[in-house]
Amino acid sequence: MKIVIAGAGAVGTHLAQLLSKDNLSVVLIDHDENILGKLNNELDIMTCAVSATSIDGLKKAGVENADLFIAVTSHESKNITSALLARQLGARRTVARVDNYEYMKPENRIFFEKAGIDALIYPDLLAAKEIADSAQYSWARQMWKFGVEGNLLLLNVKMGFQENGQESNQLLGYTLREIGMRHGHSFHVVAIRRNNETVMPHGEVRILPHDIVFFMTTRDEVSTLRHLLGKDNYPQVKRAFIIGGGKLSVGADWALPEAMDLKILEADETRCEELGRLTRNRTLVIHGEAHDMELLNDEGYGQHLEAFIALTPNDEKNILACVAAHRKGVPKTIAQVENLDYLGMAETLDVGTVINKKAIAASYIYQMLLKSSVDNMKILNVADAEVAEFVVRKGSLVTRYPVMETGLPRGVNIGGMVRNGKGCLVGGQTVLQEGDRVVLFCIGGTLKKIDKYFK
Amino acid sequence: MNWKLILRILGILLFIEAGMLFLCAGVGLFYQEKFLYFVWSALVAIIFGTVSQLAGRHWSGRMGRKDCYMTVTLSWLIFSLVGMLPFLLSGSLPDISSAFFESMSGFTSTGATVIDNCDAQLRGILVWRSLSQWVGGIGIIFFTIAILPAFGMGEVKLFAVEATGPLQEKVHPRISTTARWIGAIYLIITFLCAGTLVLCGMNIFDAFNYALVTAATGGFGTHSDLLRDVYHSPAIEYAFIFFMFVAGINYTLIYHTILRGRIRQFFHDAELRCYFVILMAATALCTLALFISRIDWSAGFNHIGTLFLFMEQALRDALFTTVSLQTTTGLATCDYTCWPLAVIPVLLFIMFAGACSGSTSSGFKCVRWFIILGVVRNELQKILHPRAVLPVRMNDGIVSTQIVQTLFAFTALFVASFFGGAFILALFGVSPTADAQIFDYYDALGISIASLSNVGPGMGYYGPLHSWSILAPVSKVTCAILMLVGRLEIFPVLILLTSGFWKKS
Repeated sequence: MKIVIAGAGAVGTHLAQLLSKDNLSVVLIDHDENILGKLNNELDIMTCAVSATSIDGLKKAGVENADLFIAVTSHESKNITSALLARQLGARRTVARVDNYEYMKPENRIFFEKAGIDALIYPDLLAAKEIADSAQYSWARQMWKFGVEGNLLLLNVKMGFQENGQESNQLLGYTLREIGMRHGHSFHVVAIRRNNETVMPHGEVRILPHDIVFFMTTRDEVSTLRHLLGKDNYPQVKRAFIIGGGKLSVGADWALPEAMDLKILEADETRCEELGRLTRNRTLVIHGEAHDMELLNDEGYGQHLEAFIALTPNDEKNILACVAAHRKGVPKTIAQVENLDYLGMAETLDVGTVINKKAIAASYIYQMLLKSSVDNMKILNVADAEVAEFVVRKGSLVTRYPVMETGLPRGVNIGGMVRNGKGCLVGGQTVLQEGDRVVLFCIGGTLKKIDKYFK
Repeated sequence: MNWKLILRILGILLFIEAGMLFLCAGVGLFYQEKFLYFVWSALVAIIFGTVSQLAGRHWSGRMGRKDCYMTVTLSWLIFSLVGMLPFLLSGSLPDISSAFFESMSGFTSTGATVIDNCDAQLRGILVWRSLSQWVGGIGIIFFTIAILPAFGMGEVKLFAVEATGPLQEKVHPRISTTARWIGAIYLIITFLCAGTLVLCGMNIFDAFNYALVTAATGGFGTHSDLLRDVYHSPAIEYAFIFFMFVAGINYTLIYHTILRGRIRQFFHDAELRCYFVILMAATALCTLALFISRIDWSAGFNHIGTLFLFMEQALRDALFTTVSLQTTTGLATCDYTCWPLAVIPVLLFIMFAGACSGSTSSGFKCVRWFIILGVVRNELQKILHPRAVLPVRMNDGIVSTQIVQTLFAFTALFVASFFGGAFILALFGVSPTADAQIFDYYDALGISIASLSNVGPGMGYYGPLHSWSILAPVSKVTCAILMLVGRLEIFPVLILLTSGFWKKS
């Protein structure tokens, strides 16, 4: 499969990196030779120093026989033009990144499809959705839903300190075997992230402070898990604070529930006036600097706040503001971090959830792409691991033996399954049946090896 | 430095070398001569490979910039060190410096030899020499990437370090596919060459050996005598000329044009044209010089047939020698060291010039000449139009300033290596006889450029007629280092010698 990516910015580069690991042929084009020169020797891709809107250039990059063309330069109009050109030149599918909510409206979809752009992505919208999701599950860092009705949940929770007093985590300090014996099978640990590396979970692994643990659980059992993790005192988010009044803040404003008491802090006065027009009625726009503590305190910063969302264009400011808010006792903090190099660091700091528009956009395209090529697989890229959803076929290897005895490769972990529309966890003795939707957690590129077990 | 990862890769490479050694053991077995020395050598490679693999088994992290340079340079050194074992164990070369020289000359596809009488050697040894040139010609890392499935340890970066020439182009987005395509072209050239040589009347063993070294632009032979004295066949000589020339063309260009049916574009390539022009100019000069020096003027032109015969002979000799020297192959049909003195500088120049980047030939490479020519032209333009903005153009594109800058650093280092090598060689004496001090520098310059450009035969005594066995051990090691430096295009070796490389940062 040949993929051409136009624009070697953060999204394009990240995407190229993801795709090149999957044995796909990736051609990355950009007009800046210097950026490409570096990437050419780093990634297993081909680079082409041409303009994304040049017909000759696109031809040179081999758009004629590309299965997918992705335009992710920093300019919306350039993306649209180049996707249109690519389609006319023969690219089979085209995707363009836009910065305009209007284009994303369902009624305009047909219009773009007719013109020759199969899909549009709007990173701000995706990021806003993610912010809203994580604000609702405030005690977990991230949450993903699986299954038809989303009744299987994948949660990512950071283990706190024992001495904190606030948390009474009943899992901390125990091995997974001990946990299994004590608390039965209401949840399943699928991966542990420790010191920026993903640890393969097995019976002898102990859960330590600062670990980021990925749990698979069902919707019915999620409260049990929450209780065990000592996160009961995380209140439902009723009051939230957003600092920074950019486009993403407006998106978040619309994505967050109506009932939420939301305040947006913005330093620029004219922008504040604009925000007044753009946001929902319940939102209060406040003119002021994010580091003005007095103002923040006046506006109910601290104990009376359940979520603090930092979306200024400045990464450092966002991270520090979130760390400070956490110290102040705000249970949920969300920071926008655009610099990919800061992601790992922000993860280890006391920032509840880190939002990166580029990574979100890239992994969204990645999912979209894999969905189109493999009929029944849904993929998420989390913590160096891939989460895949498989439908068990009739007569496949996994239906013959209990899970323990099928000999799945090391690094593959069956998190749970949806059987007859009902989500449940998979234990060692479970025998899978035809039609089950299984959620797998595959660490370290093991995803490629598991095809044969399900066919 | 990520030593575990480096050791892991070196381990893989050693297994590949063990495979090559076993192949040669098979050749020995086939010809019913002794072959156990290959088995022992292979076992040594396997033992070291296993130790290296075990030491690096828990590798993690990624390949850093320094690791790449370390891996590439070390892999070539280790390949040569293990590659010298068959020479030592079979007894064909007595001392370590000679064996190291021979092995390095093989892997860098140089072709200079210290074996006095190749005809008396075991067939296994001869095949080992040819095979080492064939693998080294395309590049050890490259060869590994082409034959193994992707091992996901930063082969893209290693590939970039090992590849030659200032501009690198891939033929396919995936590195392993690129390596396989280029490898396929290499294989096709080799087989076509072998087939042609057999058709021209060479025996199969010789044909295959010569095909391997011709495609690699190496130059090890199975005979110590000149090719003409062995085969007496103009057809074979023309076949060699053709395939040496082809082996000197950029393989990426061959892929992009000939395999894609864009023949016209092929002939418009700037580097290829530059290669061709230099070659033709040198050939014309040599032909003229040979013709004038060989013809017996007093006999007059009474017989037109003899004249043509003379001309054909002069042209063939000149063409063979220039192609052989410029592509840095180093095969010879005649002893060019006794040609008229006037053409010696021409020959030295083409040895220095080399053929195209992206081919198996070494040396300075024509693309660099082309860029330098562009810079010089621009400088002249600038005198006339001081405010003109003049980019260096090539193949409808522009060569970036960064590349030009790197190129000039490379040029300086190349020239410095050449003179530095010549100095050390002259210091330890290279003259075959004690009284010929005066020729030392001439010979030393020849040896230095022949090693650095990976040509093979040098000048003076060290031409195609003699082996280099009389060199002092120090000089042999110096030559071997020059070969490595020339093959890896200086920077990967030089960077290891800087103090900054070893600082922890």
